[in-house]
Amino acid sequence: MAPKYKLVYYDSKGRGELARLLFAAAEVEYEDYRFKEEDWPKLKGDTPFGQVPVLEVDGKPLAQSNAIARYLAREFGLAGKTAWDQAQVDMIVETMQDMGNPVIPIWLCKNEEEKAKLTKTYAEETLPRYMEALQKILVANTEGKGFFVGDEMTLADLALFASFDWFEAGAKNPLEKFPKLQEFKDRIASCPKIAAWLEKRPKTEF
Amino acid sequence: MAHKYKLIYFDRRGRGEVARLLFAAAGVEYEDFRFKKEEWPKYKGTTPFGQCPVLEVDGKPLTQSNAIVRHLAREFGLAGKTAWDQAQVDMILETMQDIANPISVICLCKDEEEKHALKATYEEETLPRYLEAVQKILAANKDGKGFLVGDEMTVADLSLFWTLDCIPVMVKNPTAKFPKLQEFRDRIAAVPNIAAWLEKLPKTADWDNSNVEHNP
Repeated sequence: MAPKYKLVYYDSKGRGELARLLFAAAEVEYEDYRFKEEDWPKLKGDTPFGQVPVLEVDGKPLAQSNAIARYLAREFGLAGKTAWDQAQVDMIVETMQDMGNPVIPIWLCKNEEEKAKLTKTYAEETLPRYMEALQKILVANTEGKGFFVGDEMTLADLALFASFDWFEAGAKNPLEKFPKLQEFKDRIASCPKIAAWLEKRPKTEF
Repeated sequence: MAHKYKLIYFDRRGRGEVARLLFAAAGVEYEDFRFKKEEWPKYKGTTPFGQCPVLEVDGKPLTQSNAIVRHLAREFGLAGKTAWDQAQVDMILETMQDIANPISVICLCKDEEEKHALKATYEEETLPRYLEAVQKILAANKDGKGFLVGDEMTVADLSLFWTLDCIPVMVKNPTAKFPKLQEFRDRIAAVPNIAAWLEKLPKTADWDNSNVEHNP
């Protein structure tokens, strides 16, 4: 019997969106439970680490957004076809952390001068370095006209797709100098199952 | 035919050590290639993302310490026995990041006042919350007398073992209020393959914040 899935997260994209994209790509039913910020204190104590997202599978909890994503990807056959492919997919998912983490100190920075300095470093050094490396990987696989690993969509493609919004919160137009990544983004967005989700998902700022 | 493994990292524990613990636990041969900090510029451009560790498997590179760790764990049967166990193991690996990453952030913080505040939050709220939760998970499995997930050692245990060693650079005696975690740490250290590795590992500087130099 098919497992019963419930994803528990804020009413936003954030760290919950990758799981939602996986459900969409695999066309698997789930309860997309979104709570309001004021309800969080009530729920916090019930989570394994006082954090969300949490994925409940037949009532059993799994925390940590990337552990959730990798679990669903494996269940849905979206993790990569061979052990090595899975490792390459994993490498790309991990890289999203390195690319996204600098955005947090930028957001939190209260000093305008410091914030501008951090943003400049992120936009002109950090992010382009990773984008360059990612574009290279993409191009090495079917000339950049397909996916990051192998012949089919995997978690790696969805993880990068889900992360673009996050990067843009720290740096304007990050894909300007990376045309193949822009094409990639458009290509994923127009995959029917993904396009359908983008159409119907609640419109939230983050 | 067995794979040829080469782990490329600084001559320290840091983000390479869990991979080394996996090789030790599994009794698998590998080349433990270590370079000095000043040699890094020489290697940086040859790596996929300008970072290390890099694991070469039959000459093919894999980077990102956690991707390396999960790959080796799966290859060596140390990732968890079922899909759900693997997910629980993975959840713990991620949580170890949440415990270790703030240490880097605090070390790098230039503003003394902010640094002091971050350290206080980490010591009084963040760290106890995670250690409490991890101890709970341990205690729920064989009353805390075994491993974190299932009946046998997994990479989750090795990662916790290593993380517990990283914390004292920021917070002394982190397991003082978590006796089951201290017992756990001692139990893993006494596993023959692990004990042998701890005995022979190069005595490098303790985990330090220069792990973050190549992650701006």
